[in-house]
Amino acid sequence: MQFDLNEDQALLRTSTREFLENEAPLAETRSVMEESVEGFAKDIYGQLAELGYAGLLLSEEDGGLGPIAFAVVMAEMGRVAFPGPFLELTLAVRMLAGCPGEVARDWLGRTAEGGALVVLAQGEDATSTDPAQAATRFADGRVTGSKVFVPFGAEADALLVSTAEGLALVPRPGAGWNVTPLTTLDHAQRFVQIDFDDAGQEVAGPEASTALLAEAHRLGALGASAQMVGLMERALEIAVEYTSEREAFGVPIGSFQALQHRCADMLIQTESTRSAAFRAAWAEETGSPEAGYLASVAKAWAGPAGRFVCGQAIQLLGGVGFTWEYDPHIYLKRLKTLEQFHGSTRWHTENALALAPLLEGA
Amino acid sequence: MDLRFTDDQQKFQLEVRAWIAAELERPFTEEVRDHAHDADSLVEVRRRWQKKLNDAGYLGMRWATEWGGRGATEVEEAILHAELNRADAPIIPNFLGVSLLGPALIHHGSEEQRRRFIPKMLSADEIWCQGFSEPGSGSDLASLRTRAEPDGDDFRITGQKVWTTFGPWADWIFVLARTDMEDRYGGISFFLVPIEQKGVEMRPLKQVTGESEFGEVFFDGALARREHVVGNLGEGWRIAMTVLGYERGASTLASPADYERQLGGLVSALDERGALDEPVVREKLGRLVVENEVMRANGLRTLANIAAGIAPGPESSIEKIFWSEYHQRMTDTAVELLGPQGQLEARSSLSRPEVDWAYQYLWSRAGTIYSGSSEIQRNIIAKRVLRMPTAR
Repeated sequence: MQFDLNEDQALLRTSTREFLENEAPLAETRSVMEESVEGFAKDIYGQLAELGYAGLLLSEEDGGLGPIAFAVVMAEMGRVAFPGPFLELTLAVRMLAGCPGEVARDWLGRTAEGGALVVLAQGEDATSTDPAQAATRFADGRVTGSKVFVPFGAEADALLVSTAEGLALVPRPGAGWNVTPLTTLDHAQRFVQIDFDDAGQEVAGPEASTALLAEAHRLGALGASAQMVGLMERALEIAVEYTSEREAFGVPIGSFQALQHRCADMLIQTESTRSAAFRAAWAEETGSPEAGYLASVAKAWAGPAGRFVCGQAIQLLGGVGFTWEYDPHIYLKRLKTLEQFHGSTRWHTENALALAPLLEGA
Repeated sequence: MDLRFTDDQQKFQLEVRAWIAAELERPFTEEVRDHAHDADSLVEVRRRWQKKLNDAGYLGMRWATEWGGRGATEVEEAILHAELNRADAPIIPNFLGVSLLGPALIHHGSEEQRRRFIPKMLSADEIWCQGFSEPGSGSDLASLRTRAEPDGDDFRITGQKVWTTFGPWADWIFVLARTDMEDRYGGISFFLVPIEQKGVEMRPLKQVTGESEFGEVFFDGALARREHVVGNLGEGWRIAMTVLGYERGASTLASPADYERQLGGLVSALDERGALDEPVVREKLGRLVVENEVMRANGLRTLANIAAGIAPGPESSIEKIFWSEYHQRMTDTAVELLGPQGQLEARSSLSRPEVDWAYQYLWSRAGTIYSGSSEIQRNIIAKRVLRMPTAR
């Protein structure tokens, strides 16, 4: 038994952290959030594709590094609240690789190496982000319908659209997408509604598409949980650093037991999320039949845990914690959107229960 | 990362599971529900179970075979404890002797002490209790005041100990007592003291559960022989701290196994009354399943680190807080979902057969207090893991 990362994975963590610290520190997230139209820096995504990050979830022969490496990278991205559709891109690349046919292979090349952006357009209901049967239609080469909360959809070069007839690939129309912005509390995430009446190409029939979507959902839950580990880790560091320096009544406030116990609780929540997320990644990597159960356990746990940790980071910084200028809010906001997507806490709690070995036979 | 058991470990797990299935007459909850039993006969059930475990070589898992152990690793030990809990096996009466005193004697005791005490400790022919805490020294254990004064070659012990688990049935007690009143840590020595003697009075203490599993002990010039000092005089604190850390692996998988069995009992009860489809029930049950599985993930991580030779640091405080507070949340929710039935004592009419919910509900209050309270554990995390500042 061993919980530690192997040498390659540890190296990946170090190099990813260095890359992000140099190219995409939190200050960048801030400027992207406050100033950019796209909501992410396209040149960094180009660099990431060149370095092979977009293909993380591909098979080993195709340059993938496996689910544990994926979790390592996602956690590092969480630390800097890395903006943009990175998680969605890695999932789309994986889905394209699972689709037969020329079209998928063509787009796989363009995304995995070429820096093109493809994301999945799945949700149709603004009141729930949980998976449901698509009402969007795909007939006579045209996709018609409406998708909501498409992450960074306005910037996508193509969309993988779930439809009642299977998975369709819709390249960006000449006139651009018919988008309506859906502005969430996390300004570093750009969601849009897209109304489709566009030419598309089938990449997977109904049955294959159900399997692909389920896999993307499981890996999305895993990636989101791992990203939440990084968000929580950094939010806790910020809180400990601040309370260790800030003085009141002549002492660092971090010497007060009430604050120490809060931080201890934040550590318990953070480290437990790490245990759960990496156990799920390991199950995925080894093809364990428990992979879906453990991914749901991790995601169901990570949301409430992360809300607590990031919320308390604001609390422990006091008044400045509530200002736009200080960082904790960036973490809480990302945490909150991640909790809702790739299966909500409620969805994964129910799924974990349904798959629990405990309930077999009941 | 590799969270799997090796082939040999998996084989061991199956072997233990089969052995328990063959040897355990019935789950301990059923023994408790049996009106033929009283407190004493339940201790005898536990004593017989300990003898069986000992005969099968399942005690002192990590000790050298020379001392009646198995020479196994923490992983096998964790597997064994998980399987025992999974089956609701009785807790052995000498669990403190085996988990604390055994390692103390093996690592710090004399050859003579090992030969004299270990075999009867393992066979449960002598039951041991622990004399560490005092009425004025709980979390701040080093402030203990019980003293041992020289009397010729031997010592006379005077003072009071409390929370001595299994004290009312114990034959011997291992005691931390002061041989130097000034030296906070270096003035503490480790004594083995027989209970059947003038100068030792054991009084049972009634717990919130209604039982008197622990007691308080009054020493008034009780005799402790020189040859029954473990290690050198003044080494008691160091020995106690070392053996308290020795237990690190055993519980990692045992708690989630125990609570999963209890959750299984809850599921059966809810299934019987057709409540498993109710959304409110599912949400609460789902949350309990998720938390227990996260606990197991923490346990696997700790165990994997131990197996890889990475000494667990103060992070073990995370585990202690998690299991003890989870047990409170779990029993709270279970008893609520079960309705009035959840409050029935095990032997009452209409009580659930699988789990003694009234007992578990009350017993869960103890877990956040013993072995370092939740508050002490949080202090440890803040100071030693997060390195937060100390008040000037």
